[in-house]
Amino acid sequence: MNKDSIKNLQQLVKAAADEYGDKIFLKERQGKDISEKSFDSFYEDVRRVSAFIMSKRDNGQPVHAAVIGPTSYNWLISYFGTVSCGSTAVPLDAQLPCDEICDLLCRADVSVFFYDKKYEKMIPAIKEQCPDIKEYVSFADMASLLEANKPAELPEIAPETLAAIVYTSGTTGKSKGVMLLHSNLIDNAMCMDGESSTADVIMTVLPIHHIYCFTCDVLCSIRYGAELCVNDSMMHIPQNLKLFAPTIMLLVPMIAETLYKQIKAGAAANPGLTEAQIANSVFGGRLKTIFSGGAYLRPELQKAYIDMGIQMNQGYGMTECSPRISTADPTDKSCSGDVGVIVNGCQVKIEDGEILAKSPSVMAGYYKDEAATAEALTSDGWLRTGDLGYVDEKNRIFITGRKKNLIILSNGENVSPEELENKFAGKEFISELLIYGDDGVITAEIFPSAEYCKDMSKEDIEKLFKDTVKEINKTVTSAKQIHRLRIRDCEFDKTTSKKIRRNQPVQGRQI
Amino acid sequence: MLEKMKELIVNYVEIDADTITEDSDFIEDLGFNSYDFMSLLGDLENEYEITVDESEVIEVHTVGQAIEYIKKLQG
Repeated sequence: MNKDSIKNLQQLVKAAADEYGDKIFLKERQGKDISEKSFDSFYEDVRRVSAFIMSKRDNGQPVHAAVIGPTSYNWLISYFGTVSCGSTAVPLDAQLPCDEICDLLCRADVSVFFYDKKYEKMIPAIKEQCPDIKEYVSFADMASLLEANKPAELPEIAPETLAAIVYTSGTTGKSKGVMLLHSNLIDNAMCMDGESSTADVIMTVLPIHHIYCFTCDVLCSIRYGAELCVNDSMMHIPQNLKLFAPTIMLLVPMIAETLYKQIKAGAAANPGLTEAQIANSVFGGRLKTIFSGGAYLRPELQKAYIDMGIQMNQGYGMTECSPRISTADPTDKSCSGDVGVIVNGCQVKIEDGEILAKSPSVMAGYYKDEAATAEALTSDGWLRTGDLGYVDEKNRIFITGRKKNLIILSNGENVSPEELENKFAGKEFISELLIYGDDGVITAEIFPSAEYCKDMSKEDIEKLFKDTVKEINKTVTSAKQIHRLRIRDCEFDKTTSKKIRRNQPVQGRQI
Repeated sequence: MLEKMKELIVNYVEIDADTITEDSDFIEDLGFNSYDFMSLLGDLENEYEITVDESEVIEVHTVGQAIEYIKKLQG
């Protein structure tokens, strides 16, 4: 594919149909069967949805169409059908509470609503709270929509047309609508070369409304002509790995951790087999690369995968940058705790410890939120990531924490809680942990692993944690000492993407 | 059914199967993370030839509740 000729998502889908034709683009389970769609039929169905969207425009103005549901062929043709005729897609997190979904639909000025049948229970509430939505399309009725609409003659789309409004699921504050242009998404999908090929099979397991999954699984598979296999549920990852035998997967560290636990258990139960042999069987026999993102990846876990013959790469980015700022160098097996090398076309600088990025992938701003846009983007177009870190001589980024989470001590010194939290990584007696400042005192609040601590007395548990903190304190400067420890009886409150909310009330018992 | 559940649970967490009871909470007592739990539900679907509805299992926290849920699906 000649990437220089592709300036928008419509051209990307067309180029894929021209180049890859009847090759399989997508496979998904439908009951016990597997449905297959080619690049050709994808482009045709996208144009049928475009015809539908174009018929719903008011005076030719683009519409905003929300799409909600797990990854599916219907989700993808709804999204690409919308953007390919110059309208704007609004992908939403189906796990949000109904009231929050209604709020986002209103804030994003949505007038067309595509939804998976699973969420039809929400429809009466949405109809009541969002009177501007004129059209509801259930994926269950998609076949008749496609039949009723002939493939559209698509209009020309300027690269700076708004393609999507993507709501961020931050761990603090109200979610903001990131405005991504066609040029942003195309730049990010095209910024690296050779990551995949027509021979690859990508099994997509992460939520499709996340830009990380959308750009790196979906856009990359369309660009490279790779086969995209849809994991229909988190419950079915092991079965689907065997069924689809992927060569590439995008994961978050928690899934990689669980799969590794299963591999270790398999190796323990089969002493004649190595972890690499068990991994080969667990992953379906062909997996060569895992891209990890979304959260901190323990270097030990990364090394364990590399030792099993699976290249585990870590990247870094944010929705506001479509999302990639850095990506792994597949030749780097050092597991040095970096989050990859800066992608082509992206500039990175450090200001007061904070990472700033500038590239054609950076968003146009937050939808109808000028104040938040002015906070995130400098007047000369640099994106303030809010992350603290540095760049080494090999152009690799290292993250040390989040600026907004910084603990400001009474002596004016700033401490990054993440830097301390990472020191507890891999300690199996800790289930969850949060470090924060409590009246200027660095505090660790821990939810112990019930399984590990089940036969221990309260005193033993307290001693174990106190000793652990003492050991960690030996490895940090005096300003970063953890002086207070709390133990919780219940899990921390989390976001729908399973990240611990930082701004929650203290619950643990101080010891 | 409890015995079968124990057999499946120990694939996810290093725990003595004898300590697992119907009152054991997957996350707080057995140390499951949310993906371990989803993966176990997949095992149960295979084992009992049932189809689990992800929106219904939000109510399932303990081993006993999981057994009740499977029985309900089996009719």
